[in-house]
This record gives sequence, C-alpha cells and structure tokens, in this order.
Amino acid sequence: MIVKDAVCPFCGCLCDDIEVEVEEGRVVAVTNACELGTTKFMGEKRMKNPILRVGDEWKDITYDEAVKYAADMLLAAERPLLYGWSGTHGEAQCVGVHMAELIHGVIDNTSSVCHGPSILAIQEVGHPGCTLGVVKNRADLVIYWGSNPIDAHPRHLSRYTRYAEGFFLENAFRDRKVIVVDVRKTESANIADEFIKIRPGGDYAVLSALRAIVQGKADTIPRTVAGVTREQLVRVANLCKSAKFGAVYFGLGLTMTQGKYKNIRNAIELVSELSRHTKFTISAMRGHYNVYGSNEVNTWMTGYPFGIDFSRGIAFYNPGETTAVDILARKECDAALIVGSDPAAHFPRKCLEHLAEIPVVQLDPYPNATTAFCNVQIPVAVTGIDAEGTAYRMDGVPIRTRRVLSSDYLSDEEVLARMYALMQEARER
Amino acid sequence: MKVTLAMKPAAKWFIPIEAESIVPKNFLSGTDLRVWRGNRELRLDEVFSVSVEGDADRAEDVEVVLSGDTFRLKRVGEYLDAGKITVLGGIGMHCGNFMSGGTIEIHGNADGWLGREMAGGTIVCRGDAADYCASGYRGGRKGMKGGTVEVFGRAGDFLAESLAGGTVIVHGDAGDMTGAEMRGGTLVVHGDCSRPAANMKDGSCYVYGTARGMIPTFKKIGTVQHDGRTLIRFSGDLANRGKGNLFVKGYEYLD
Repeated sequence: MIVKDAVCPFCGCLCDDIEVEVEEGRVVAVTNACELGTTKFMGEKRMKNPILRVGDEWKDITYDEAVKYAADMLLAAERPLLYGWSGTHGEAQCVGVHMAELIHGVIDNTSSVCHGPSILAIQEVGHPGCTLGVVKNRADLVIYWGSNPIDAHPRHLSRYTRYAEGFFLENAFRDRKVIVVDVRKTESANIADEFIKIRPGGDYAVLSALRAIVQGKADTIPRTVAGVTREQLVRVANLCKSAKFGAVYFGLGLTMTQGKYKNIRNAIELVSELSRHTKFTISAMRGHYNVYGSNEVNTWMTGYPFGIDFSRGIAFYNPGETTAVDILARKECDAALIVGSDPAAHFPRKCLEHLAEIPVVQLDPYPNATTAFCNVQIPVAVTGIDAEGTAYRMDGVPIRTRRVLSSDYLSDEEVLARMYALMQEARER
Repeated sequence: MKVTLAMKPAAKWFIPIEAESIVPKNFLSGTDLRVWRGNRELRLDEVFSVSVEGDADRAEDVEVVLSGDTFRLKRVGEYLDAGKITVLGGIGMHCGNFMSGGTIEIHGNADGWLGREMAGGTIVCRGDAADYCASGYRGGRKGMKGGTVEVFGRAGDFLAESLAGGTVIVHGDAGDMTGAEMRGGTLVVHGDCSRPAANMKDGSCYVYGTARGMIPTFKKIGTVQHDGRTLIRFSGDLANRGKGNLFVKGYEYLD
C-alpha cells in the first residue's frame, strides 16, 4: 500500500508531500523525504511494552501499571517537572497542560533549550514574520543566520528558497540571492551568493553595526566588526535595502550563543529598520516537528509559551527560573515526566545528576539516553506514523499529521489521558 | 520590633520556598503567615523558628532578620514599602521585587532578579549578585524605575537590564550585557564588564574598568573628568537612535 501526501514528523518544515510505502505493517520505502525524515519513517527496534526499573533490572509491566506508577509519582511530588512535548501532537500537549495545572507542577518544552530566546525577544519587540509560502513566492533575498539548512532542514532550500520556483519571480534560481552568516564555512555557505564569517560571539555586534549602516551611519563603525570588514557590511546592507522582499531565517547559532535573546532582538530590530526601506521578514528555523505547536498550545491554555510554573495554582513564567535546565541544575524538582524528547542526550551533566536522583517516567517509542535515568518507560505510537494529530509548522501553520500504518501502541494522548483520569479521581477523593 | 526567622533544616531542602509574605508590615499583626514550598502551603513556623522582640505600630519600626540556609528562599521583601529586612546569609531569587521603600541588607550573595522592577528604597548586597540584578521582567519595557541598589561583590549578566530610573552601583566586576536596553537612571560598575549599555536609549552608564566586547555603534565624544578619574565618553546606542551616555576607563572591540 502506498500512502500519498503523508506528513513528515521530523523537523519544523513538516513536509506534507511524502509518499510512504507500507507492507505487512512496516514502512518499506519513502519517497520525497530527506535523509532525516526517511530514517524516522523507517525506524525500527521499538520498545515492546512498558518497563519498570527494579534494582539493576528492567521488569516488563502492563500499561495500567505504568500509568498508575506515573500518576502516583506526580501526585506525591511537591514540585513535579513535566518536560519535552515537542515530539508529540497538539492533542497530547493539551492533556499535559491540564495535568500540570491539576498537580501544580512545572511544564516546559524543548524550546527552553532551542528557540526559547527567540520567543523572549519576540515578547520584547514583536515578530515581523510570514509563512513559508510567502517567502517561496516573493523573496528575492534570503539570509540564513546561524543556521545550516543543508544539514538540519534539508528541504527548506528546495521547497522554499534557493532551489524553489517563485510565483512572483521570473527565474527564481537566478533572481533570488542567498546570504549565509555563520562562524564557519558550512555546507549551506557553499551554495550562498555571499558568506559572512563572524568571530564566535560576535553576532550581536555585527547586527548592531548593520542597523547603524542601514540608517546611514557607516562612518562611525570600526574598520572590522567581529572579523567582518566594514566594506562587506556596507555591501550586505545595500543588498538588503535593494531587495524587493527579504527574509531572514535564524537558527541556534544565534539563539544559543553569547547574548542569546538579545541577539534575536537585535536581528528583529534590524528587520524593522530594513522595513523602513523595503519589505523584510524574520523567522526561526524550528527544530522538532511540533515544537511550535507546543508553544501554541501552552500559550492559548496558559498565556505563556514554555517554562510555566503552576506551583501556586496560577501560571507563572520566568525562563531562567521556571525552565527545565535551570530547575534540574538547581535541583528544584522532585519528580519528572518526560514526553517526546530526550533530555539525557542534550542537557548538561549537572542536570542529569539530579535527574538520576529523582523518580522519572518517560513516554517514548524507543529506548534512548533518557531511558537510563527512568524508573518507568512507556512506549507509545509515533505521531505521523502509527498515530495522528495536529502539529504546527515552523511558520505557525497547523498541519494534521496522518497515520500511515496501524499498530497496537497507544498514542501519547491516550496514555496521558489515562494518567490524567487517575489524577482527577485521586484529587476528587 | 525585631522579628528573627531562623530557617529550620528540611528533608526536601532542595525545593525552593516562595515567601512574599516576609515583609515588615505583615508582622504588625502577628506571625500567622504562610509560605509555599513547591506546591505545598506551609505555616511560617513550619519553615522557620520565629522569635519576636518588642512591638511596633508602624512598619518603619519593624526589622526582620533572616538566618540559616536562606539561599532558596524566593520573593522575600516583595512590594516592601517600609521597614528593614536583614539577611545574614544568602538570599534566593526575586528579593525586593517591586519594592518602593524601606531597606534590604544582604550579608551574603543574592540570587537572580534582586530588586526586579523596584521603584524606591534601598538594597545593599555585601556579597555577589547573580544575573538580572536590578532588571525588568520578561518582555517588559521598563526595569527598575527608582531607588538604589548597591552590590559590594560582583554582579552577573544582564545587570540593570532596561534600567529606567534610580541608581545601581556594583563595586566588583559585572557580567555580559551590563545595562542592556537602558532608558534612564544611572549605572556604575567599578570593575570590568562585557558589552555595556547595548541598545541603550538614554541614561548614564559608568564603567571604571574595561568594557570588553564594546558595542561598535557608540560614538566617541572625548574624555571627561569624573570623581577623580579620566573616562572616555561615548554617545549611543546609535543602532537604536539612542541618546545615552556611556563612560568607560578603557574599552576593547571584538574586532
């Protein structure tokens, strides 16, 4: 059986033109997807059933036992942390937020270690963004700043920028200029018309300099700024001003380097400055396929996009205090539920030391680095493969992922709903 | 009146305690106050050994003294408007949030957001202050609007972010993005700091040491004499059409 127009549940591009061939309950071929998406669709070696740590051994348990364990653990905790959420569908994320509110816990998603700073900057100065389709059809200048789409979002270039056709561009490949800004010459820099190599930690200074140059104050700028010559900065500023429609896409090279959200704020303010001369937009290259959705769900349910602390019964938000890395590093939680992410593979060692000391339950289809820190792991269906639900593309467009095969696994939403029902019962007693 | 609160040892010592009820005026009507440890509401005497000496009719005459392991005690002195709080050790995040009067003296170190969005009064920290000392809140336009914060040790990153009024003095070094988005007030750093006054709109920032990673969009005006020091005066941040003043002893660009 061939499933057409399947949605790829890997990165924030959420490509919706994938063809998946299924035979005997297994994916055997994938067309149109990139290497990363294909590997996810073809993934094997899933965990068969929930497991419980007993001493140094793993014991197989039932879904009911696993769900009960998690509910009891979270109800007993004084400051439970509910982390992850970017690798699951919106319906499951909704249950997660309800759960955090019921048990007065802290709910945070992976954006606190990726594009959280982008959101902090947007809260300061707004977000002049647009959908990917607008960029594809109109942009004659695209800037990738601190992001390397060839490796991280492979089809971003072919579907929306460098190699895409544009309705309002006569010859898109020739008319569309691409600028790459990075600290090293990446694969993406090789296909750019202009490459700006910045000294590590120098993004903020370069962005400030560009803003001043766009205002006509080039004469006050030093000869070089973070390794970039004034001549190149003036040339780039002129390229931007003479574009009909410019689009900036930034990645973790900007959000997670020195200055963090102030870098993004500066980039947004550069875009505002350029919009006094021409049309310019800016957007984040979101990583997980539904990290944007997690921010959306959290925001419409609590008012805040991530790092929400319900300890006192009302939502309190303060990244740096109520975000997972900070809470774990400071040992400020006493139980953790991990859904749709793998913190042990990404968090600093200090955080993992605390994760090792407290009870942890994880919902994940595969054994991963976090499994080593779990007391219980519950395997679930993979959204976009054997579960379906809503995800948000990196530009904020909701796309319903499809089920391409059926399995006996419960979805994240089903497992969480069972947990939530037990908690409600316990709280009513 | 002197209220002494000595922290009791706790089994789950690592869970932070939110204690915005610890302000002098609340003790005028007794010590039956509540604090929160994680999601549990506790009586003040479950967390502290409480003792009261003397009495008072007004908050100005109340001094609250905190002792023991108070570094995880958050929001002490929130909305303080009169009286004094003395912390013998270190204090947790958000100490002196929104305060408009009175005094807080911390003998140890202060954690993040010391004196966040304060409007008046005085905070003295004898140790170091962590990130976001005398700053604003996420997404806020204005940070501290009045009063004085003096830190005798070092300060962390984003010191006096969005400073809009009042005076902030740090005797040691400060971290990165010192005085970012300043729009008023006075910030003085006796030591070195990194990228001072980034994106400033207005106000005055003094760095008596070296400004590392100097923002390239400040215009050099000349030298000035200040408190017996020769400082270089810059105007900016030009990128933000700012008219602020940045005075530094020395500076290095990231060139």
